[in-house]
Amino acid sequence: MSTPVRAAAAPVPGVKAPTVKRVIPKHHALVRLSHWLNVPILLALIASGLSIYWASPVFTHAPSAQTGSREYLADVGIWVARHIPLLVGKGNPNAWVYDRFGIGIFHLAQALRLHWLFAYLFMANGLLYAIGLAAGGGYKALLPRSSDPADALRMMRYYAGVIPAKILRRPWPHPPLRSKYNALQRGAYFSMPLLGLLAIASGWAMHKPAQLPWLERLFVSYDGARIVHFAVMFILAAFILPHVVLVIADGWDTFRSMITGWSERIGRGGTHGRD
Amino acid sequence: MAGIERKETRRRLADRIREPEEVAVEVPAAAARARTRRDFLMFGAGALATAGGLWWLLPDDTKQRHLTAGLRDSLDSIQARLGATPESRETFLNRALTFDDDVAEALYSPTRTVRTYSRSQTTPLRNNYNGATPGPQYLPGWALQLSGLESGKSERFTIGDLLSRFPRREQVTRLCCVEGWSAVAWWGGFPFAEFLKAYPPAAQARWAKIESAVNLDGSGKPDRYYVSIDLATARHPQSLLATHFSGRPLGVDHGAPLRLVVPMKLGLKNIKAITSIAYTAEEPPDYWNERGYSRYDGL
Repeated sequence: MSTPVRAAAAPVPGVKAPTVKRVIPKHHALVRLSHWLNVPILLALIASGLSIYWASPVFTHAPSAQTGSREYLADVGIWVARHIPLLVGKGNPNAWVYDRFGIGIFHLAQALRLHWLFAYLFMANGLLYAIGLAAGGGYKALLPRSSDPADALRMMRYYAGVIPAKILRRPWPHPPLRSKYNALQRGAYFSMPLLGLLAIASGWAMHKPAQLPWLERLFVSYDGARIVHFAVMFILAAFILPHVVLVIADGWDTFRSMITGWSERIGRGGTHGRD
Repeated sequence: MAGIERKETRRRLADRIREPEEVAVEVPAAAARARTRRDFLMFGAGALATAGGLWWLLPDDTKQRHLTAGLRDSLDSIQARLGATPESRETFLNRALTFDDDVAEALYSPTRTVRTYSRSQTTPLRNNYNGATPGPQYLPGWALQLSGLESGKSERFTIGDLLSRFPRREQVTRLCCVEGWSAVAWWGGFPFAEFLKAYPPAAQARWAKIESAVNLDGSGKPDRYYVSIDLATARHPQSLLATHFSGRPLGVDHGAPLRLVVPMKLGLKNIKAITSIAYTAEEPPDYWNERGYSRYDGL
């Protein structure tokens, strides 16, 4: 914070309470910036990546006599386009996923260009994030610790019971927390950057297998890198929904802290789950 | 002693990376309000600008699937007023493409070779002719035209000339298509480098324009195919002018009677059924580059 601050533990006489706010610094400015930049970058990478995937899908099966589809991702769209009332009969069901979430079928050249552009932005943004973590010491809250497995089980038990406890009007206290994140959050926030690195490494392995043969070998083969790359994309995409749901459930303070950098929740380590 | 020291070092490291207790700080309430307002305004402006930027980068027909016609029109005209036109989008995205080419060029080493495989590791190779497979009626009259030579003359070869002149070499390498699929193929042919040595290009030549006049488009009409190959790539030890596939002479599906095998480049540079090679000083046009792909295509 650029505003002069002093430790809350040492109150200065003469400062009236209402004119002063007590806050906890949460996220370094570069961490916040790179967090939000990830939104358009990942959106563009997934949209262009899907159109690249369409040209030669990785997760395939024998052609279906009924739909002509030979891959699972198109099958998802075919099912949706046939069963979701508002969408039935609109457009080509085999292209449903690629037209809605990608930039479309038969768009390989445009998709590749966009993908390279946003891949470089993604790498630059990852660097910003790393600098922010190092400068603000935020990485310390992300490092796994020996108490994590037991705490993760406690958190799962807590999350599983939140709604039943609400219905039964029973108290359901949040497990005590003495760090910025609970064990489940830490697991997620620690593994996402690693998945990002894996996406970058597998991307380079298939982009330049001749110049980076050691990287190709790391994924066993050219196709190994492709499988990893697309699997990572599906996992990253699957992370987005629970991430957004949990932040909404957790409330305004958590959302604001990713914009302003500070939280007003004092005397409670965690950011998730009011008790 | 050493054990104790190591323990001490480890303890110090553990202390250094231990998550600190969260400490509340006091800020003047008015300053906090002003900062919050500033940060949210910046966030909103950034979100708006980014959404506009993403819309600008979308291909025209992708835009057609989203929003309503009226909304699309007003968005596009606002953007055009700010200079974000389809033309500026193309320039910008092509710049991203050449940036990637520059990175690839920086990574490139002429002495590095691609991984080779054993003959038992070959996998089925798709015939990916963009359109219809030509031939075989072109085969009896086929000849290779060669120009841009140091001698100033043009040369003409039959496949018999080439087969008797240059000893054959076998090579099992992966062919990677821009579409994402790949195949390990067993090629036979003569090194492009040998051909360049036997018929040296003009002193100022840096490129080869390699063309197939027998290529067809999707409807079966003649559609010349041409690629640009820099002479450094042509001289690469694994660049072949291939005459054989899986131990047999090339069939029309894989580019009989002569095709290019450049495993350092994407499949689309591995032109089939070559009918002419011309050495040039300037970079020649490239079929797929004219259709929005990179013209470097190095792997």
